[in-house]
Amino acid sequence: MSNLATLRAQIAAVEAGTRGPSKVLPFGDPAVDGCFPGGGLPLGAWHEITADGMEAEIGAALAAFVARLLPSLPQVLFRGDVVWVMRRDDLYPPGLAFLGFPAERLIQVRAENDEEALGVLEEALACRGIAAAVGEVEEVPLTAGRRLQLACERGGGAGFVINRRPWGLAGRRGSASGSAAASRWKIAPAPSLPGEGGLGFGPLRWNVELNRCRGGRPGSWIFEEAGHGPHPFRVAAEVADHGLAPPLRRSA
Amino acid sequence: MWLPRWPITVWRRRSAAPPEGPAALVIAERGVRKLHAVNAAAGAAGLFLGQKAADAGALVPGLVLDEADPAGDDAALERLVDACCRFSPAVAKDAPDGLFLDIDGVAHLWGGEEGLLEDLLARLASQGVEARAAIADTAGAAWAMARFGDAPLSSLPIAALRLDPQDAAQLLRLGITKIAQLKDLPRAGLTKRFGKMALMRLDQALGTYPEALAYRRPPTPWFERLCLVEPVSTPEDIARIAADLAGLMCERLAMSERAARRFEIAFHRVDGQVARIALGLSRPGREAKILTRLIARKLEGVDPGFGIEAATIVAWEVEIRRAAQTALAETQTEKDGAAVGALIDSLSNRLGAHRVWRARAHQSHVPERAVLRAPAGEAPGPGWDPDLPRPLRLFRRPEPVEVMALLPDDPPVQFRWRGRLHRVRLSEGPERIGDEWWRRAIETVSTGRLRDYYRVEDETGGRYWLFRSGLEGGRWWLHGVF
Repeated sequence: MSNLATLRAQIAAVEAGTRGPSKVLPFGDPAVDGCFPGGGLPLGAWHEITADGMEAEIGAALAAFVARLLPSLPQVLFRGDVVWVMRRDDLYPPGLAFLGFPAERLIQVRAENDEEALGVLEEALACRGIAAAVGEVEEVPLTAGRRLQLACERGGGAGFVINRRPWGLAGRRGSASGSAAASRWKIAPAPSLPGEGGLGFGPLRWNVELNRCRGGRPGSWIFEEAGHGPHPFRVAAEVADHGLAPPLRRSA
Repeated sequence: MWLPRWPITVWRRRSAAPPEGPAALVIAERGVRKLHAVNAAAGAAGLFLGQKAADAGALVPGLVLDEADPAGDDAALERLVDACCRFSPAVAKDAPDGLFLDIDGVAHLWGGEEGLLEDLLARLASQGVEARAAIADTAGAAWAMARFGDAPLSSLPIAALRLDPQDAAQLLRLGITKIAQLKDLPRAGLTKRFGKMALMRLDQALGTYPEALAYRRPPTPWFERLCLVEPVSTPEDIARIAADLAGLMCERLAMSERAARRFEIAFHRVDGQVARIALGLSRPGREAKILTRLIARKLEGVDPGFGIEAATIVAWEVEIRRAAQTALAETQTEKDGAAVGALIDSLSNRLGAHRVWRARAHQSHVPERAVLRAPAGEAPGPGWDPDLPRPLRLFRRPEPVEVMALLPDDPPVQFRWRGRLHRVRLSEGPERIGDEWWRRAIETVSTGRLRDYYRVEDETGGRYWLFRSGLEGGRWWLHGVF
């Protein structure tokens, strides 16, 4: 039986176009894991995280999603530094620590433009000691994307590209197709439930759309940050059956 | 080394068609235009420094006058200092028109002091620089002999002693014209009359009193040079020279169990210009291979001009690093650490060290002061309190927002930021963050600097960090986004 599983993984890897079966990070929910050929988010690959509207400029919910996801990666959990390449250095490490991210293991790099940022990202991903690398760029050209994929396979780290528009610019987005990323996500913040006893905030929530996934199928859910445990997120609702936002709570 | 008529030399090199006839540079001094420098022809015609420009023009009809540029002359002298670093690592500027080269232990590279002097003067002459140089045991004596001829120090006039002009004039008035006469005078009387300076200059020339020169580069024993028979200019050749230099330096460092953090390579071009590249390492290193790789990336910026004829390498921040016993099986952690170190080096050298950093916690509750930037090569420092709600994106400057709250002390019900209205669904707070009053004058401390922070979530789920400054009726600001 295990032979069959190995064979399946190999076939999936060939279909996905990577060199060998890479490790995966399961989300712990069959509805999500079923979308991926390997039964979870592939780790030796890079993923594209996008957003719409203001969120693409601020990039806070995107960063929060990535920061919440990263500590669950086995390579980040046990060893290795994380590189975060930005064009605008407004990332605030205490905020990362609040999300449970080991902020002291973070190496931050400020790049002047997209090309430089992608170059740094590629170099970081190709480095053996780097567990994961995050880059904030406006868009990834196809060639650069393939180079990132090769770097991921060489270094074994996971890459995340946050599509972030420079402030105040109209942006030149629109090339949604033809990316070399292993998966492409669209993230938006989602209204959370009030905290315990109706006071304060509940766990963070995101509207998550898996737009594209190599060798898998798309899907969309509402993710909620999970407490302590092996999985970073909990599926709060499938988008199809979620109703309206929870009712407004007026403060007295 | 003395550069007589240095301003004229610089001016001739700067101007497109330097005149052959008498020429002079003028400078305005208290409203009077006076001669700042004269060329040889003008000097022969009887013009002297400090003469009024109008008088000079009347005396010599064909005189060419131009504005003097003391700042430019000084910059040119600096460049000459750079160029002379190919002869010796220790070169000091002697403004306004001289240089000191400490050639202790380097003269043998030219087959002796004479050879060095010859080479130096020939090179300067080929560049059209008028120079006179002398070699002596002390800087003072060399200064005197370069200006007043190669003769025993005692027989030189006292002007060769770098004295204060007033003192020199006074000594002349007393009938003391030669250094020998000055030497014979009782020292106590001299000090009384002229102060310490006159005797100090004498002693410095004679070598009984030390003289500190401000060298362009602090002297370092970690210096290697390569001289080429033929100038090279192809990128491959330059890369090989750089690699050879790195190899030489690393070999020396390894021999004495040292390692260095910073390296500087200077390529000396045929035309006297110098191209430099600097490298920094996150931890002391002496691996020629790594160094060569880092250098190779920077070589693109080196312009060989008409060719490179010499190159030098200097190591800074040299520390002891004992050779470690190589482990039979290197652990994964060690390997990873080395790989990350190499990555940091490569990035810092390419982008600049200030653009690669590791954040470090600082003991402060003011949000913008809680993070310090440390070099990425340093070991990770302590982290932040994971229970403190802090935003992921913190604006460098808080942005003003229009806020509606039901009561003055209440959290906002809605706020407008960048022209968009956000209705608040949930809020937490306030978290009151006070001013760090101990950092400023006690009179300026007031409650106006207090900030009450609220975390709010709008109806789309975006979470924001707002604060009201001051106790009552303060303005609202958006400081970050979660």
